[in-house]
Amino acid sequence: MSTELLKKIGWTAEGLHEKSRKLVITNDAEKLKFIITKTADVPTYVENGAADIGIIGKDVILESGKDVYELLDLGFGKCHLMMAVPKDKKRATLEDYSHTRVATKFPHIAEKFFAARGMQMEYIKLNGSIELGPIVGLSESIVDIVETGTTLRENNLEEIVHIMDATARLIANRVSYRLKFQRINNLVNELEKFL
Amino acid sequence: MSKILETPYGTRDFLPREAAAKRAIENKLAQLFSAFGYEEVVTPTMEFLETLTNAGGLEIESNLFKMFDQNNRTLALHHEMTTPIARLVMSRLKNSPLPLKLSYNTSVFRFRKNQPDRQCEFYQAGVELLGVSNAFADAEIIALAAQSLKVAGLKDFTICLGQVEFANGLMEENNLSAAAISEIKNFLERHNIVELEKFVDALELDKNAANSLKKIPKLNGGIEILETARAFVKNKKSLDALKNLEEIYKLAEIYGVADKIIFDLGIIRDFEYYTGMVFEAYAPGVGYSLAGGGRYDNMLKDFCPATGFALGIERILQACERQGILGNVQNKNIYIGYNEKNIGAAIKKASELRAEGKVVELSLTPQNFDAAKISQTEKNYDELIYLK
Repeated sequence: MSTELLKKIGWTAEGLHEKSRKLVITNDAEKLKFIITKTADVPTYVENGAADIGIIGKDVILESGKDVYELLDLGFGKCHLMMAVPKDKKRATLEDYSHTRVATKFPHIAEKFFAARGMQMEYIKLNGSIELGPIVGLSESIVDIVETGTTLRENNLEEIVHIMDATARLIANRVSYRLKFQRINNLVNELEKFL
Repeated sequence: MSKILETPYGTRDFLPREAAAKRAIENKLAQLFSAFGYEEVVTPTMEFLETLTNAGGLEIESNLFKMFDQNNRTLALHHEMTTPIARLVMSRLKNSPLPLKLSYNTSVFRFRKNQPDRQCEFYQAGVELLGVSNAFADAEIIALAAQSLKVAGLKDFTICLGQVEFANGLMEENNLSAAAISEIKNFLERHNIVELEKFVDALELDKNAANSLKKIPKLNGGIEILETARAFVKNKKSLDALKNLEEIYKLAEIYGVADKIIFDLGIIRDFEYYTGMVFEAYAPGVGYSLAGGGRYDNMLKDFCPATGFALGIERILQACERQGILGNVQNKNIYIGYNEKNIGAAIKKASELRAEGKVVELSLTPQNFDAAKISQTEKNYDELIYLK
């Protein structure tokens, strides 16, 4: 999605696509350099100024806690972060899950969410297949991203609380934003036309 | 093998070469500050907690390193120098004639995690100019900041200048609640344009007002941007802020630093005490600001207005290194080797050369010529004198 959107406004390079094996793809004529990284690393590249701008989900920005400028909501990649539990082990209220184990890829966001409700939890950080947690007895609940809800249903899980909505965002490094303002701002204006 | 002793999280050692580079920059800055008439002060590394949290707001408290004295009062390591200097000016210097021009060079402490190049102990040099509230004082501060980066060796850098009263005036003009103002400032500080726009839309202001508020972080550019900004505001506070920036810029032109200045009316800075112009300095290749400062007229309450800035020494060193302008600042001139017979002559020779201002290392034991040659090379001395 990111590369397609950028292509619409002429920001592209030969051989550029998100599954590219080449990590750095350059378009010398337009003075563009694309860096392909793991999603979780995008805020890190931008915060350090190794990349001037990046496109990444709001969930990843929040989880990383990185200090980056958020310029534009690109609207795609829509999903939400929620807490789910096995259907047959549902408790009466959210507070009833205090001090239980929650499996998640987003321990920072989850901790903030529960702490704001005065709840302490035991966070179990997993890197994928979060739904497995309650099935194998690793945790009582999960906090995860949901797009359609199919995976939840297939694993007999039920959403009990909505935590946040997320979409893809255009982010920028604070120094790049100031030193390359014209170029970055033009990009924002161009992209806005396609949203 | 014995266990390696580590330093605490967020602290670092400076090895001789690094310490020499740091010292060289600090000396140049001290000389420059003094040439502008600023006098150095030294304050305690620790202060009472309430001294530090008084002006900076409570937000900073969780980032302070704290401890107790023998009476169980809470102490904290200073996290910046503006607040301790304000304390000094309101107490021991309170009868000194104004304006006061003070400078400092010290390490400061902030607990922070998970951020690039944000050490818990880091070094700052800076100045505070107290007792004058005109644009002339602010221009001197900007000119001195630019000059500081120049004497540190940086050629390519930019000073980004803003005025907090512009955004304040605009928010007051629209009768926003204190809670809404603090929320908007928070978005501006983090430059979260997405959340800012959502928040402003939810306020249901009239279209022009909403657009002006959303435009704040995009008011970035040369002097012409002040004209653009004028079209968005009607209130006196914002208009005065723009006039103030114009005056500062005119003076900066005379100082010869205007070519380094760009404007950004979205700059708020992370300390709450700023009340007028604010600025940050950036260099390509370093993803965070090298220096920052501004006017803070309320911190010293009814006492006096003030303005100033701080430079991050490690960050400037980093920028110099990335721009390839960190020369060898270690000045090692002569290594003296000698044989058994010449111990006395060697000491005399070394004393003579040191009196001439040369950096001289005298071998601690007699050596033959070959051994002396090896020592000279290993220790990086320019020249070898061998007494045989």
